[in-house]
Amino acid sequence: MFKRFFRIPFIILTLYACGSSASLRVGEPAPDFEGVDTGGNVQRLADYRGKTVVLEWTNHDCPFVRKHYNAGNMQAQQREAAAQDVVWLSVISSAPGKQGHVSPAQADELTRNRNAEPHAVILDTEGRIGRAYHAKTTPHMFIIDPAGKLVYMGGIDSIATANPDDIPGATQYVRTALQEMAAGKPVSTPVTRPYGCSVKYR
Amino acid sequence: MKKRRFLAAILLLPCLLSSGTSLANGTPMVSTEHATVTLMSEQSMAAPDQTLWLGLRFELIPEWHIYWRNPGASGSAPVIRWTLPAGWEIGELHWPVPKRIRVGPLTNYGYEDSVILLVPVKVPPGPQPAGPQTITADAEWLVCRVECIPESGRLALELNQAGSNTITATGPRELFNASRAQWPEATSLTGHYRLEGDKLSISVDMPGILTRAPADVWFAAREWGPVDASGAQRWEQTGTGLSLGVPAGDLPPAGAMPLEGLLVVESAQEGTTVRSGYQLRLAAQPLTPGNRNLSLITALVFAFLGGLILNIMPCVLPVLSIKILGFVREAGANRRRLAFHGLSYAAGVLASFTVLAAILLLLRAGGESLGWGFQLQSPVLVTLLAYLMLLVGLNLSGIFSVGDTLMDTGQSLTGFRGLVGTFATGVLASVVASPCTAPFMGAALGFAITRPGPEALAVFLTLGAGFALPVLLLSLYPAWLRFIPGPGRWMTRFRQILAFPLYATTAWLLWVLSQQTDAVAYGGALAGLVAVAFAAWLYGQLRTRGWRLGLLGAGLAAALALAIGPMLASDSSGDRRNTSRDDRPWSEALVQELTAAGRPVFVNFTAAWCITCMLNEQVALSTENTRQLFEARSVAYLVADWTRRDPAITRQLERYGRSGVPLYLLYSPAAGHPVVLPQLLTEGIVAEAIQNP
Repeated sequence: MFKRFFRIPFIILTLYACGSSASLRVGEPAPDFEGVDTGGNVQRLADYRGKTVVLEWTNHDCPFVRKHYNAGNMQAQQREAAAQDVVWLSVISSAPGKQGHVSPAQADELTRNRNAEPHAVILDTEGRIGRAYHAKTTPHMFIIDPAGKLVYMGGIDSIATANPDDIPGATQYVRTALQEMAAGKPVSTPVTRPYGCSVKYR
Repeated sequence: MKKRRFLAAILLLPCLLSSGTSLANGTPMVSTEHATVTLMSEQSMAAPDQTLWLGLRFELIPEWHIYWRNPGASGSAPVIRWTLPAGWEIGELHWPVPKRIRVGPLTNYGYEDSVILLVPVKVPPGPQPAGPQTITADAEWLVCRVECIPESGRLALELNQAGSNTITATGPRELFNASRAQWPEATSLTGHYRLEGDKLSISVDMPGILTRAPADVWFAAREWGPVDASGAQRWEQTGTGLSLGVPAGDLPPAGAMPLEGLLVVESAQEGTTVRSGYQLRLAAQPLTPGNRNLSLITALVFAFLGGLILNIMPCVLPVLSIKILGFVREAGANRRRLAFHGLSYAAGVLASFTVLAAILLLLRAGGESLGWGFQLQSPVLVTLLAYLMLLVGLNLSGIFSVGDTLMDTGQSLTGFRGLVGTFATGVLASVVASPCTAPFMGAALGFAITRPGPEALAVFLTLGAGFALPVLLLSLYPAWLRFIPGPGRWMTRFRQILAFPLYATTAWLLWVLSQQTDAVAYGGALAGLVAVAFAAWLYGQLRTRGWRLGLLGAGLAAALALAIGPMLASDSSGDRRNTSRDDRPWSEALVQELTAAGRPVFVNFTAAWCITCMLNEQVALSTENTRQLFEARSVAYLVADWTRRDPAITRQLERYGRSGVPLYLLYSPAAGHPVVLPQLLTEGIVAEAIQNP
């Protein structure tokens, strides 16, 4: 009886203690990061203050990523973003030996072959950026506004399948959000379900 | 072993199924690199107006998995598009309880080895077209180990084939029943959740379900969003069920939104993990003003005010008045001694409240469902209080006097024994105050009970301080009593008048008792009262101290024996009276049933010993106007009677941050959670709440 009595405050404390590993919330500052891109350049979120930044978690062998690249959907959105002066960073968090892990040269070749147009591809081999953003799937999309606040997190679109035929009927959440931001409007759907393969962390 | 089972299934299934031949537009079985998927029907013939069960069986190669309806952190649940004969209606997929599948830091919900997803199909009434009926399922599924492969297949099945009734269907039926055995229980378990920062605090009432300690417990939300599947969950068995700490997901539940999901209890049995699932619909914990979010400071202020108010309660005031009259007599004689008596009295009060708090907290820590007023839920305690009130009343009436202790107005304030007497007065005052729960104290004590020990104790002690303060102040500043005339014959008469509030309290306690016990036990308590009175009178007549005490003891013992014997007997019979009105007793299930039927529901949490409740019923709930309004709006009136202990009611009170009655809830069918009405009602408040939900 006494044991249980004293356990109650203890439980409350432990609950608060683990609450500090807070998850990401839209409207709050996005975690800063520092990563190396395929050209060996250091990419820092802080360097892009004043610009909108899109983060795209990717793994070229994941069927869900292939769905969007084979259909040209991802590349089209990268081009639209570039035209709006939005910084699009593709992030590969696959650990060495895991699916999707690539060398800088292979990553550049993928970009060329797929006719992709990200601002840069970051090789997050240790999964540090991935964990900071709680990136769970490929693709998993994040949008950070010019003030450094997270304004969108979730899927690339609304139909969670690996079938490219579903793309035309889906709501393209990232495109919609970028259009809304360009028009000075708040993002109407700021959180959606990310769908795809799991990120292949170490 | 696994492989052999897999092979056997491939070889056997076509023989077991009603349609083993391939059809023009598909086959009932598709094999891919990672899975063999089979469409089957429990019934081979489809009769009009019948519900058929179809099953989609996935057999996976080792280490690979497919997903539950909510796949968790990544992945994707199978999607099936059905093509059915005209008029046939497909129901919802039934998912067996999944397991947690961890991939690095991420957690998914899914199935390994094999799983059968069942779905009911409603065949329309009326004659069916003759000949075979084809059912087609276009299935897409994602199968993963670490990497994922999307696969798909078109499966087709023919029912009502000529001669199909000759094919045995026992194979599929066993598979179907095996799948049903893995469904989560669609329970009537109640529970609630509260969002605290990044955590969801979940508690579930599971009376009598957890017969053995679970090895692990986890909660999975029905849809993606409210719960982060990958985060660590904490769980704890409570006196009444389980409580869990679950990390909130990217889209935490907002407002009064209920949280739907699956509670999975894992236990180890003979080396394997057995998973039991329970479907839950958790109600949002309502945040009612002045309750759960009551700060400690506010609770202390309420407790202090409540304590002050206790002083003027009819059962307490007479006792205090006598004490104060004693001060009057002593006033001016020895200020220092008077101050000591005041402090001694305050110590008596605080000691009593500490003991009360300790009893309550220890009982609760032991898993008892108690709330404020628990001391009046036991017929034995109610009887004892009635005896005590009678004794104090008889003392004031002058039937007997207790020498130089307790209540005496005379030369009692001298020496150590005098101080003990004053301390005892403090204890007595606290005991007689306990039935008189002031409306203020409900919120403060509700707060106290839900808090850790030190805070709870602080609230109880502040209550005691407020209670002790008036008498303490008068003892320190006896000059304030100047307006009271000097000692004289009036004091005797005043004393005798003060006896009557105590007799009234006795009568009230007896009435409460009449709600709690049967006629035999009640008669015993009444006879006990006579014995107490007789013992008191004898005590007053005799002069020898030994005789007096002996007689008093014998009288009280007789009284207790008379009352408590039958009471204990009737206690166990569990017979309980409801209020005399033709109201329906409350249950959570009844509320749900009525609101589901579209009726508003008013629940009155009450107890016979709760004066505030009785008052509200008189002025607001039992009036003709209110009755008519309830009838016009077809409001169901339910009564939750807490006169005797009832853990279900206690839990419901706690859910709304109360530790005692009254509590008034108004459920409207549209809103998810009820409106909490104030503790003091008027006809207007009730009407307003019902007309503008």
